[in-house]
Amino acid sequence: MGKRRLEGMFHWYLVFIFVISANAVDVKHLNIWPMPKSASYGYRNLHLSNEFELRTDGTKFADASSILKDAFKRSIDVVRSSHVIEFNASKIDSSLVLKGIHIVVSSPSDELQHGTDESYKLHVPAQGSPLYAHIEAKTVYGALHGLETFSQVCHYNISSRGIQVHQVPWTIADQPRFSYRGILIDTSRHYLPIPVIKKVIDSMTYAKLNVLHWHIVDTQSFPLELPSYPKLWNGAYSITERYMFADAEEIVRQVNRQFYAKRRGINVLAEIDVPGHTESWGVGYPALWPSKDCKQPLDVSNEFTFKLIDGILSDFSKIFKYKFVHLGGDEVNTSCWETTPHVKKWLHKNHMNGSKAYEYFVLRAQKIALSHGYDMINWEETFNNFGKKLNPKTVVHNWLGSGVAQNVVKAGLRCVVSNQDSWYLDHLDALWQGFYSNEPLTNITDPKQQALVLGGEVCAWAEHIDASDIEQTIWPRAAAAAERLWTPYDKLAKDPEKVKSRLSYFRCLLNQRGVAAAPLDGLGREAPVEPASCYLQ
Amino acid sequence: MVTSPLMCLRYCLTESNNLLLLILLQNLKERSSAEFDRMLRMGRTRLKIAYIWYLVCFFAVYCDADDANEINIWPMPVSVSFGSGNLHLSNNFELITEGSKFADASGILKEAFSRTIDIVRSSHVVELDTSKIKPSLVLKGIHVVISSPSDELQYGIDESYKLNIPAQGNPIYARIEAKTVYGALHGLQTFSQICSYSLSSRGILVHQVPWTIADQPRFSYRGLLIDTARHYQPLRVIKKIIDAMAYTKLNVLHWHIVDTQSFPLEIPSYPKLWDGSFTISERYTVADAAEIVSYAKKRGINVLAEIDVPGHAESWGFGYPSLRPSENCTGPLDVSNDFTFKLIDGILSDFSKIFKFKFVHLGGDEVDTSCWILTPHVKSWLQKQGMGDSDAYQYFVLRVQKLALSHGYEVINWEETFNEIGSKLNPQTVVHNWLAGGVAEKIVKAGLRCIVSNQDKWYLDHDIRWQDFYSNEPLENITNHQLHSRVLGGEVCMWGELIDAADIEQMVWPRAAAAAERMWTSYDKLAKDPSDVRSRLSHFRCLLNQRGVAAGPLEGLGNTRPFGPGSCYTK
Repeated sequence: MGKRRLEGMFHWYLVFIFVISANAVDVKHLNIWPMPKSASYGYRNLHLSNEFELRTDGTKFADASSILKDAFKRSIDVVRSSHVIEFNASKIDSSLVLKGIHIVVSSPSDELQHGTDESYKLHVPAQGSPLYAHIEAKTVYGALHGLETFSQVCHYNISSRGIQVHQVPWTIADQPRFSYRGILIDTSRHYLPIPVIKKVIDSMTYAKLNVLHWHIVDTQSFPLELPSYPKLWNGAYSITERYMFADAEEIVRQVNRQFYAKRRGINVLAEIDVPGHTESWGVGYPALWPSKDCKQPLDVSNEFTFKLIDGILSDFSKIFKYKFVHLGGDEVNTSCWETTPHVKKWLHKNHMNGSKAYEYFVLRAQKIALSHGYDMINWEETFNNFGKKLNPKTVVHNWLGSGVAQNVVKAGLRCVVSNQDSWYLDHLDALWQGFYSNEPLTNITDPKQQALVLGGEVCAWAEHIDASDIEQTIWPRAAAAAERLWTPYDKLAKDPEKVKSRLSYFRCLLNQRGVAAAPLDGLGREAPVEPASCYLQ
Repeated sequence: MVTSPLMCLRYCLTESNNLLLLILLQNLKERSSAEFDRMLRMGRTRLKIAYIWYLVCFFAVYCDADDANEINIWPMPVSVSFGSGNLHLSNNFELITEGSKFADASGILKEAFSRTIDIVRSSHVVELDTSKIKPSLVLKGIHVVISSPSDELQYGIDESYKLNIPAQGNPIYARIEAKTVYGALHGLQTFSQICSYSLSSRGILVHQVPWTIADQPRFSYRGLLIDTARHYQPLRVIKKIIDAMAYTKLNVLHWHIVDTQSFPLEIPSYPKLWDGSFTISERYTVADAAEIVSYAKKRGINVLAEIDVPGHAESWGFGYPSLRPSENCTGPLDVSNDFTFKLIDGILSDFSKIFKFKFVHLGGDEVDTSCWILTPHVKSWLQKQGMGDSDAYQYFVLRVQKLALSHGYEVINWEETFNEIGSKLNPQTVVHNWLAGGVAEKIVKAGLRCIVSNQDKWYLDHDIRWQDFYSNEPLENITNHQLHSRVLGGEVCMWGELIDAADIEQMVWPRAAAAAERMWTSYDKLAKDPSDVRSRLSHFRCLLNQRGVAAGPLEGLGNTRPFGPGSCYTK
C-alpha cells in the first residue's frame, strides 16, 4: 500500500472506533425530546446507583400528597424497565456512581393552572463524593419536567448491565415556549376506557405536553355523569361506556394518590360543544331537541337549554379546576331552528335569523361560563362570524385553516392553534414533518400580539379511533408538535429531516415504555413496511 | 328491532342478544321515570298496564344493572350453572388458603390474586363502602385450595379448577379448588369475568350467584407465536402480550426469537451471535429472557424458544461469518462445517438453562438448498459424503434433533420436515403444521404428535376474519379417537414482518381469543356457527379494552380501524 491509502485506512479506523464508542453509549447526539432551551454536556459516564434516592433538603415544597415522590419513582421505574438490571453499583468506586437526585422546589404550592411556572434547571455533575444530580424549579411541575429530562439521559448499558447516565457533566436550563401544549381526545365518537385515558396522560408527560383537552360529549354519545341532570348520560352508547362523576374527578384532580392528570402536571380542559354537536343530549332530555325529526342544534328558544348548560357548568366547576372551559361553537347548522315551527316563531318574535340566534346562543353560554369562574375557549367559527361580540376573555380555538391566529390576536383576543391541515391527528395524510413545522406565530411579529397566542393543540378526533388504535394515531406525530410548542424558536430545526433521527430515537423510547408509537415513515399510524430496526422506521 | 317491553324481557332472558339489550334497556330506563309521572295522571286500566310496563322495565333495569343475563365468560367453561342473585365484592376482598397444600413460596397465587382484584376494579372508581352493607350480601373473599404443593409448570400439567360462589353464608366466600396453582389461576381469571362494575351500587358486583363451574382445557398446548427477529419487541410489550394471553387462558408463548433479519438474543457460549441484532438497544440479555420466562410462568404460561435451522438463520453469520456458505450465499447455515453444529449445541445448552419448557422448536421450514449446491467447498463436501441437497437437509435436521435430545428437550419442527423426511424423524418429534389444513391427520396417522397452525386460518398476519379463527378445528377428519391425544393443540402465529410495538396488540386481539376458545372449550360446547358467540366475543373484546389491551374491532380483517362512531359492543 502507498502511504496515502494507509492514511485513509487510519482515518477509517478512527471513524470506526468513534462509531463503536458512540454506539456503546448509545448516544452520539443529544437525544432529548423535546430539545431543552439550553444544554451543555461532557463525555463522562456515571452509573446509576441501585439505591438511587430522592433528596429534598432545602425545598419549600412539602409534597404532602406525594406528587414529587411518586413522579420520582415512576421516572426510575421507566428507566429501569427496558432491561433487567444485573449491575451492582455497590461494588464500584463511589466517584463513578450517581447516588441520587436532589430536588429543590421554591414554591410550596401544588396548584396547577394555566401559566404555572414550568421551568427547571438540571445539573448532573461529573465529580463529587457522594455524587448527586440537582434539579431546581419554581414549582413541583417544573421539577417533574426536570425528572423527565433526567430519565432521557439515562440509558441501559450493555457492558455494565446497568443504567448509565451519559455525557456528564450536564447543565440544562429549560422552560416551555408556550404555556398551552395540548392534545384533544374525543370520547363521544368512541368511548375510551379509563386505563386507556391514563396511558395517554402518561405518554403526554414524556413529551412535556400539559393540556388534555377532553372532548367528552358530542352528537353521537354522552358518556359523562352530571349530577345536576342525571339523565344526560342516558345518551351514552351503553351502561358500561360511561364515566362516573368520580371517574372524571379521578382523571383530573388530586383527591387521593390515584388522581391522575394533575399529579403529572397536566391540566384537563373539559368541553361541551354547543349548540351544534349535541344530539346525544336529547336522549335524556328530549326537550333540548328542536323536534324529534330535527335534533340539533340545541333548542335556542327553550329556557331549559340554558338552565341545563348552567347546571353542567356548575357540576364542571366542582371537578374541572382548569382556568378554561371549552364551549365549542363550531359547525352550527341552524336549519333546524329555521324549519321547526315553535323555534321559528320564537326567532320571529325576537327579531332574529339563524345566524343571529347562533350568536345569541354562544354569547349567552359564555356568560354562564364566566359566572362559574371560567375563562372560555370557543372554536374559530364564533370568531369568524361575530368576533367583535365575543367576550374579551375568549380564547379562540383555530382549526379550519392556517393564518387565523394572526387575525385573532390582531383583534385583541387570545388564540390556541390547531389548524387541521397540520395538527389534526385523524388526518392520516398529515405527516410528522408537517406537525413539526407548523408555526403558531406565523406572520405575528408584534410581541404583544405574540403573547396572545397561548399555544397549540393536536387533535385526535375519534370517528375512526378507539381503544385499539389511539396510541399509534397520536404518537409519534404529537411529539413532533410537542417540540414546536416547547422548544425556543431559534433551537427548532428549519428542516424537519434534521431532527428525524432524534425523533425516531424518541419513538423507540416510547415503544420501550410500552407506548404503541407508530413508525415515522408513511402516513399516520401506518404499519411498518418491512422488517427492520425501530430506529430506521 | 325490539319494540315492546315484553320483547325486551325476552331478550333479557335469551342467550344471544345481550348487547342489543344493553342499548335497549337504557331507553326503557330513561322512559321509566317519565312513565311513572304519567301513571299518576292516568285512569285505572291504563294504570294497570302502566304498572306492568313499569315492572317489566324495573326487571329490565335489574338485568341492565347486572350487565349480564347470559354467561359472558371467554373462553366458555366446560360446565357452568348459575343463579340470579348478586353479591357485592368486599372492599377488603381477601384471599384465604386454609387447607391448601400449596405453600406459595414464590408468591404466584398471591400476586395473581392481587392482579385479579386490581383489574376488576380498574374500569371505574369504586365508591361503594361495603362495610355499610349487610354481610349476607357481601362476598368477603375467596378461598383457594390447591392439592399439589409443586409450582412446576410444564407441558401437560393439570390446569383444571372448580369455582364455586355461593349465594348464602356468613361470611360468604367464593371457593376455588384446583390440583395445581396454575389451575387456580384459571379459576381466578374466570372469577374476574363474573365481576363487573355496577352503576347503581358504584361498586363491584358478583353476578348471577350461586355459581358452580367445573372447567378444564380441551388441549394442553394453546399457543401464540411472536416474532422478535423481523421487528424487536421491547420487554414491556412482550409482558403485555403475556398478560392478555392469561386473560384468554392461552398457555404457550412460542418465541420465534431469531431469524434471517436479526439475532437479538444474547447467547453466552457464543457472545458474538447478537452482533446480528438490529442495534445494541434492540437486544435481549440472558437476564431479560429469564425475566420473560419467569413473568410468563407466574401467569401459567410456558415459553417455547425457537431457532429456525438451517433456513432462517442468515443473521447468525454477522458474528460468525463461517456459518455462511460464502459471503455471497449467506444461507442456509453451512452444513459442511462442524462448527455449525458445535454452535447449535452451545445455543441449546444455553437455552436449557433458561427455557425449561419440555419442548424446543428447531424450525426446519422453507429451506432453499441452492447455496449448498452452488458454493464450491460445500458442494465438494456433499459429493464426498455422497449426499444430494435433500439428503443434506435431512442430515442437518436429524443431527440437530439429536443435539436437542441430548440437552433433555423434546423437539418441535415445522411441517416441511415431516413432508420431506417424515419417517426418519425422531419419534419424539412434534410436527408443527402451517402450510395448509388437513395435515394433522397424516401426522398422527404416521405416529407422530402435532400442533396445528394452518396458515389459512390461524396466521394472524394474514387477512383472516375472527370467524375462521373460531371455526378452525384441530381434530378435523381425525376419526380414530385414539389418535386424538397426538394432537397436542394449536397455535396462532403473529409473524413480525409488518408488525412492531405499535400494532402488535390489535393484530393479535381479538382474533387470538377466538382461537383460544376453540382450544380450551370442550367440543360439544363450541358453537357450530360462530355468529352465535359473536356478542360474547364482542363483550370480551371490550373487556380487553377496559383492561388496557388494544384489541381491535371484530369487524374486518385484523388491522382494521372502526368504520365509524359507535359503541364498542356493536363493532
